[in-house]
Amino acid sequence: MDSKVCYRKAEHPMKIKELRKSYQVSGHMIQVLKGLNLELDDQGITVILGRSGCGKTTLLRLVAGLEKADSGTIQWTHQNGADGWPEHSGAPRQLQKAAGRIGVIFQEPRLMPWLTVEKNILFGVREKGVGQEKLGHLLELTGLAGFEKARPNQLSGGMQQRAALARALAYEPDYLLMDEPFAALDYFTRAQMQQELLKIYQTERKGILFVTHSIEEALTVGTHIVILEHGVCGKEYSLEAVTFPRDLLSEEMIRLKRELIAQIQEH
Amino acid sequence: MMGLRRCAKTVLGILILLAVWQLAAVSGIWSAYVLPPPVKVARALAAMIESGVLLRHILVSSRRVLAGFSIAFGLAMAGGIVASQLKAAEEYYGGFLEFMRNVPPISLIALLILWFGIGETSKIIIIVLASFFPMYLNIRKGFVSGSQKLLEVGQVFGLTVWQRFCRIVLPSAVPDILVGMRIGLGYSWRAIIGAEMIAAASGLGYLILDAQQMSRSDKVIAGILTIGTVGILCDRLFSLLIRQVTRIRE
Repeated sequence: MDSKVCYRKAEHPMKIKELRKSYQVSGHMIQVLKGLNLELDDQGITVILGRSGCGKTTLLRLVAGLEKADSGTIQWTHQNGADGWPEHSGAPRQLQKAAGRIGVIFQEPRLMPWLTVEKNILFGVREKGVGQEKLGHLLELTGLAGFEKARPNQLSGGMQQRAALARALAYEPDYLLMDEPFAALDYFTRAQMQQELLKIYQTERKGILFVTHSIEEALTVGTHIVILEHGVCGKEYSLEAVTFPRDLLSEEMIRLKRELIAQIQEH
Repeated sequence: MMGLRRCAKTVLGILILLAVWQLAAVSGIWSAYVLPPPVKVARALAAMIESGVLLRHILVSSRRVLAGFSIAFGLAMAGGIVASQLKAAEEYYGGFLEFMRNVPPISLIALLILWFGIGETSKIIIIVLASFFPMYLNIRKGFVSGSQKLLEVGQVFGLTVWQRFCRIVLPSAVPDILVGMRIGLGYSWRAIIGAEMIAAASGLGYLILDAQQMSRSDKVIAGILTIGTVGILCDRLFSLLIRQVTRIRE
């Protein structure tokens, strides 16, 4: 497994500096991000935690290159480390050059309804005739084996989201961005998906930027938790020492949860 | 066998209609000129089939319908693609199209004869005008509503604009394109009378207009029955084609 994955040794593969973004909403300028600074680790799961409408999704879309910032920079260490910190202006092609491959998982599965699960998973794969072995591995990993010929509309919501996850992984991204990927799922499916994400994380060791409004989810999957409020990053928490799977009912976790709630309410 | 049952119901419905028609015809309320009995219509139809005249009319009209429909389809596809890829361009021609959509094609006959003469061109333009708009509106909808969310998926995988068009916009528009084509084909057939009002010497529209001149209401009805039947057959054939295409997609 490990031979497939190349780690980078940089401590912070991505630096966000003074990021600003505003939207025009019915004649009013709404400032969503107000000079946000953030550094990301390339091997952990960094959770951006905040209320709905605090700018989490905007931040993720800017990092993914789906939107352009008003000002500020998003810098990535070059894959080879040779070019220092190239900036990207938001165009996905430029972004790929600067940041390497970025996989994005949206809140909705966003599968192509006219393609089978198998073809959906291979949607982003450029190389022709990608090995059956790799596809089999991904189907196995996401629990979709046996459903490769199914259509997205024949799958449950959870399975669709797993197919979206497999599609992002097939692309062999250097980094994964996840925008409240499990928010639309019911409690049990959600818990199951979180465990599967951790399983995948532990085998593939991709750096993940994970956006959520759920404190429980943040505590379940995060190795770092960053609170996003009023358009800037607030307090950061490191949970690297807490091993997976986590017991959210342990004293330590309950204390942390209380602190997170207090932090978010304070603002 | 649900299919057989439905088929039987359809046939029964037609038989009842024929019976009512026959009863009305023999009741003597209307003259045989105003309402020719079904038998007379059938005889006129049989005579035309036997002499091969009907088949010739069908072929001539089919050729015109096919030509007009193909051109209209090409234009509708081009218009739909431009509308989805160059939104600014549509603002220029959108108003004109909206105007033309509300003009009945038959009202343009005088100008078309003036500009293009009384040959095939004018006839085909009538069919194009009649079938373009329903096709354009459907195809445009398919291209434009092509989900922004799916396009973003292409964007994050670093697809170029062209790749995004081929792999996302076009396939997601296919259902709307097929619906548009099916509706457009129906409109093409319905425009055949208007098209063949322009100095035609053959075709199903001509058949009806000529019979009208000759006061042969039985032949008028025979012509109407033929157009309706050919239209249904075309539609069936097309939906069969759609099913084939969607099967290939799977």
